[in-house]
Amino acid sequence: MADPNTKFLVVDDFSTMRRIVRNLLKELGYANVEEAEDGADGLAKLKAGNFDFVVSDWNMPNMDGLTMLQQIRADANLSKLPVLMVTAEAKKENIIAAAQAGANGYVVKPFTAATLDEKLSKIFEKMGA
Amino acid sequence: MSALLEEHLATNFYFDRTFDCEAAKILPGEFYYTAKPMLIVTVLGSCVAACVRDRVFGIGGMNHFMLPDGSGDPNNPSSASMRYGAYAMEVLINQLLKAGARRENLEAKVFGGGNVLRGFTAINVGERNADFVRTYLKAENIRIVAEDLNDVHPRKVYFFPQTGKVLVKKLKQLNNYTLVKREQAYATQLQGSRVAGDVDLF
Repeated sequence: MADPNTKFLVVDDFSTMRRIVRNLLKELGYANVEEAEDGADGLAKLKAGNFDFVVSDWNMPNMDGLTMLQQIRADANLSKLPVLMVTAEAKKENIIAAAQAGANGYVVKPFTAATLDEKLSKIFEKMGA
Repeated sequence: MSALLEEHLATNFYFDRTFDCEAAKILPGEFYYTAKPMLIVTVLGSCVAACVRDRVFGIGGMNHFMLPDGSGDPNNPSSASMRYGAYAMEVLINQLLKAGARRENLEAKVFGGGNVLRGFTAINVGERNADFVRTYLKAENIRIVAEDLNDVHPRKVYFFPQTGKVLVKKLKQLNNYTLVKREQAYATQLQGSRVAGDVDLF
């Protein structure tokens, strides 16, 4: 496990899903979690606060997760931020698009705490290396 | 371990002579949505169906699911039950939004959750499913404009997405055990699965 104070931003338009991800993160020992309800809200929060990690849905109104990811990568202050996409889109073209846009990982819903943990560890490992 | 759990778009279509329109029939674990003057039909035992619709644009869809009978606490927001239920609802709502529906225009009618699998498990599966769908829609600010939940009878539900009209027929007598068998097979499939999406590495 990485630093338990790692500050997460969970971006999802479904409050139920934000709660689920928040709880899973808590189960994994990460309690420093904030939420945003779409990509635009997420991007504004990222620009304003010192976040260490983003867990984002894909399909959202106003700004979707992929666009938010592209904007993060294009922003000099945020470009290195790890982004894990958590989505109900299991199509290969979605996964490829996310990878090309610079996602650090991709999890298909409905997922378990173990899957999330595995993905997070892998991303932290790569960042440390 | 069985294959990955996934909500499927209905593939079963027919022309309904009674209502003189095209109809999609959905089975447990399936959903369908349309903006066309169609009918979406399903038969529910302890499963629930949410008919979700944009009341301005007249686009709507229906899902049909039950919560997996996991060992975890169903009230725990990260339990397998909650995660699967939230996923089943999200898949339908996401498709509606992608097809042009607006979140603030969404309203729902919910059906099913009958206690028809008596003796199947110690807990009332139907009631749990009904409670979930109510709680979920409330949390997501989607208004429930009609409901017919719980009780002990299976239901046949006819949903007209364009107008939002729903007809419910309570099946007081089952001519065969198809419904019960189908739901039990679905429940078994849910229980044997990981309630987890695929892991794609890159």
